[in-house]
Amino acid sequence: MIIARPLRADAPARNGPLRGLSRLLPGPLLALLLWEVLGRALADAFVLAPPSAILVYLYENLGLMSRALAVTLANAAAGFVIGNLAAIALAVLASVWPRSDGVVRGLALLVFCLPLVATGPILRVVFGPGPWPQIVLAALAVYYTTLIPLLVGLRAVPAGWLDLVQSYGRGRLAALLHVRALAALPYLVAGLQIAAPAAFLGAMIGEFTGAERGMGVLTLRAMRSMNVDMTWALATVATFVAVLSYLAIGWLARRFLHHEPPVILAAPTGAGKGGRGQGALRGLLLTGAAALLLWWGALALLDLNPFFAKGPWEVFSALVLAPDAAATRSALAEALGQTAIFLVPGYLAGLAAGALLAMLIVLVPRIAGVAMPLAIALRSVPIITTAPLVVLILGRGALGTVVLVAIMVFFPTFVACLHGLRQAPGRIIDVLDSYAAGPVQQLIRVRIPAMLPAFFAAARMNVPASVLAVTVVEWLATGNGIGSLMALSASLSDYDMLWSSVVLVSILSALGYAGVGVLERRVFRVYAPEQLQ
Amino acid sequence: MSVSVVCTGLAKTFGGSVEAVSPIDLTFAAGQTTALVGPSGCGKSTLLRMVAGLEEPTAGEITIDGHPPADTLREAALSVAFQDPSLLPWRSVRQNIELACALARRPKNATDIDQLIHLVGLEGFADTRPAELSGGMRQRAAIARALVTRPRLLLLDEPFGAVDELTRKQLASDLPGIWEARGTTTLLVTHSVTEAVMLADRIVVLSPRPADIVADIPVDLPRPRRQTLSREPQFARIVERVFAALSQGMARNLPKAAQ
Amino acid sequence: MRLSPGGTDLSNVMQLKRPKSNGFKGLDQTIFRKRGNTMKKAAGITRRHVLGAGGAVLGAGAMGVFPRRGWAQVPVSLQLSWLHSTQFAGSYIALERGWWRDGGLDVTLVAGGPNAPVEPPVVSGAALVGISAADYTAAAVEQGAPFRIIGVAMQKNPFVIASLAANPVNVPSDMEGMRIGMALANTPVLEALCRLNDVDIDAIEVVPTQYSPQPLVAGEVDCLLCWETDLPVAMTIQGVDNVTMLMADHGYAVHSQTYIATDDSLANRRAEIVALMAGEVRGWEAYREDTDAAAALTLEMFPDAGLDPETQRLQAARQVPLMFSDLTDANGFGWWTDETVAANIETLALLGRTVTPDLWDRSILEEVRGA
Repeated sequence: MIIARPLRADAPARNGPLRGLSRLLPGPLLALLLWEVLGRALADAFVLAPPSAILVYLYENLGLMSRALAVTLANAAAGFVIGNLAAIALAVLASVWPRSDGVVRGLALLVFCLPLVATGPILRVVFGPGPWPQIVLAALAVYYTTLIPLLVGLRAVPAGWLDLVQSYGRGRLAALLHVRALAALPYLVAGLQIAAPAAFLGAMIGEFTGAERGMGVLTLRAMRSMNVDMTWALATVATFVAVLSYLAIGWLARRFLHHEPPVILAAPTGAGKGGRGQGALRGLLLTGAAALLLWWGALALLDLNPFFAKGPWEVFSALVLAPDAAATRSALAEALGQTAIFLVPGYLAGLAAGALLAMLIVLVPRIAGVAMPLAIALRSVPIITTAPLVVLILGRGALGTVVLVAIMVFFPTFVACLHGLRQAPGRIIDVLDSYAAGPVQQLIRVRIPAMLPAFFAAARMNVPASVLAVTVVEWLATGNGIGSLMALSASLSDYDMLWSSVVLVSILSALGYAGVGVLERRVFRVYAPEQLQ
Repeated sequence: MSVSVVCTGLAKTFGGSVEAVSPIDLTFAAGQTTALVGPSGCGKSTLLRMVAGLEEPTAGEITIDGHPPADTLREAALSVAFQDPSLLPWRSVRQNIELACALARRPKNATDIDQLIHLVGLEGFADTRPAELSGGMRQRAAIARALVTRPRLLLLDEPFGAVDELTRKQLASDLPGIWEARGTTTLLVTHSVTEAVMLADRIVVLSPRPADIVADIPVDLPRPRRQTLSREPQFARIVERVFAALSQGMARNLPKAAQ
Repeated sequence: MRLSPGGTDLSNVMQLKRPKSNGFKGLDQTIFRKRGNTMKKAAGITRRHVLGAGGAVLGAGAMGVFPRRGWAQVPVSLQLSWLHSTQFAGSYIALERGWWRDGGLDVTLVAGGPNAPVEPPVVSGAALVGISAADYTAAAVEQGAPFRIIGVAMQKNPFVIASLAANPVNVPSDMEGMRIGMALANTPVLEALCRLNDVDIDAIEVVPTQYSPQPLVAGEVDCLLCWETDLPVAMTIQGVDNVTMLMADHGYAVHSQTYIATDDSLANRRAEIVALMAGEVRGWEAYREDTDAAAALTLEMFPDAGLDPETQRLQAARQVPLMFSDLTDANGFGWWTDETVAANIETLALLGRTVTPDLWDRSILEEVRGA
């Protein structure tokens, strides 16, 4: 009466994509109509293509678009498979050999934080012509978002199940095979759902490194030729594919799994069980050493030319020892400063928007029908195609960049917060109900505290995502900040600068991630002590 | 076939300060059913977990037929039925029972499994998943799972907690027959005194935490024990002795608890 | 290095084999996949060209005279600086007509892109020759790359200041008081232009933009710093009346679309480089004959690149005055003189790049011309 507790806002996802979509038609239909009118009114501004024009473009260029889609999809799929297999292998390693957990996590985070803008050309040099840079970038874009839920899932096993295995004298491997693997399946699915659109984005960015065909190539072409219909058609197709893959994986999971995929964007709080202080420091040192070793080893193994392949020593030398080290450092600092100006507000705005919309949906469940599909779409649109659109609409100033970063951060936060808000224990809600506390009271007193763990988990995971967003926008649209500096360094063969930027951006992202983690622990000490075991 | 368990100076302390089991010397005779009875949280489950090799003792040692528990574990010669049935939700009752065979590396015998399912009263539910079963039914499935590997040492930790009164009585009269036939050494942790008297050959009464032996009471009632036995005077006598020991244990550790 | 007097004919075009692996890192790269209809139309272009160019010599070879297997073709890669388009149509002609194959080369044209490395594959030897620009080459040389410029496709730098016809930039001083949209990375270019023409750069407001003419059309900026053959073409095609001011006409002398190779390749793979450049020279001369045909060939070869026919034709035509001049008429495509190099060195100095004339190495073109 006061609040419809089973808030099935994501009901469409549960009832299968088709039924759900049809139920939601009126809202989107209205939006379509508005879009059409606006598009036609703004025809001369080269900003917005009306849906009718998009359809006409798609119809007339069906062959071109489907061939491009096939190429990009194939690369994305290959990257999806490779990236997720890598994630599974790493998770299995961490599960069978728990001591490796900290280093696996640390390295995985560091690699995930590598800016795609810079890894792209490096991969192209390593692999030469062909699809591999696209595939590897797609794999890099997905493995982390699968690894983290999987690590949670492999752990989220009742102690009794493990006792059972142990009582028959069997070890970790048997526990993994018989118990953990299947218990983690829903978590894996949750990861895969996020991974699908990410793989598509990775494949598209990969195409910027010198591919002959694909959606990324066409996007670039559309931007440069000011072909608004084509730009919007590409964005539409990319969004459609991404949303479909998101829904399809969810649907498959419901079909074949006995329990719901959990909406887990969460990593367990402590990076290691070793606790804080010395243990954390040791983990950090170990991770750093492993990263350096990997870096150095990869360069040696691939036998890359030192003209563009810079090792740890060269970067250190460029930043510290070289005569122009001070100039390099100040160039980096200036670029990072410019980036921070867009990144931080966008990140915070995305977090706030995600949390607020989730709260709004809890208060007014009816809007979920419109908000959910829109949110999924926003998250799924590859940023490569959104970047030109948002910049077209909002301009090249701070607003466009900030909004793009916010969009990137918004959806995962929203989904996580919604999940958290609904996790409020039913009995506590019943107690409040019995005191006739209104929905707002419930929200403030019970649901928001219950939401905090999910919110912080999303905040943490979003640090690398927002860095990706801001660097891509800087590179493609605004031409300033670290994203642009990296692209420029590559074109000017200043590979010392490029590698230094990569190292700095990765470390700063990882530190940002850890910083949110520290904040998280402080908040949890008050609101969710059970998370800190 | 039967094994005996010998605990000497066995003690367990959690986190360096919480003393769960104070040094205990205890022997579980081969082929016998011993019940550990004590108030909630007295450390009897910890004792059982140490025997099962799931918990390392802080002091003292356990030998099973002269060997450390790890050896028994390696041979998969023991089974535990936990307080929490710990059934895997994606497996049916039958598949959960079969899991024990897989873990113990024993061939699975369909007739055996069918008989066990019948014994615990789950016929018709063999292909049902745990989520669709009541708490009591899950516990019965867990008991069937514990028995399917024909363990030489069977450890039961409050296995009937959620089982309804009627079924519990049925199980209490049926299960000992199997143990006897197989010569299983059984260790039963329970806080139900009547259940202990019904099932056990011997009852060890433990004090509140840290667990210490208050009384060691033989149950010299004839087998098979029928349900009607509970109305017999000798049954009531033993029950009274156990209750008396329990109160004595409470009193003994009261000053400690008050600290 | 030309292996036969009878370069190519229709039958040879039909036989055009698929380039095999370029052998780099063991990846099998199939860059060109010919479809039946592509071949037919390409053959048509060839015929037209063969007749138009008066290529009696070219037409001499008969089918079967050059058995395909008899050629030990050397796989080489040419690293392009951007996505496939008519910007590289001369190369496509050379490939399509088998001129490289006849020169003993199995050439792979490797596409570039906004995030594609151009210099590294040349340094590592994965690409024999790369297409760069004098300023980028100079930067790479400063970083230790052993490059020489061995050919100059764009004699005139393609940078322009593009503006709307209603508010045109005709001379550099018109920019004062305007907002200019450009990649911030190009700031040195604008500075150089201002210095060369005594324009006060502080009177120009720089707005960072990239990859799109939209800010100019939307009025966010008054002019754009871009390529003659790129964004202005897009605007013209979209019906936006625009004006371009070629920076090369106002003292900005930087060779663009330059062919680069390493000292090591020049010493050890000289014959291959000469054969490659011979094909380029011939291809671009053919391009000049009929830019529409070149644009058509580009579209045929890259049906998946999303190229617009009209745009490609206009771009192909606009490229001609940048690439050909009295100098090239006299000496052939790609040529330069000590004077143009001196002008380049001067402009590059304004861009903060110190280079010496020996960055340019004309010996390859001389061999091509002498052959």
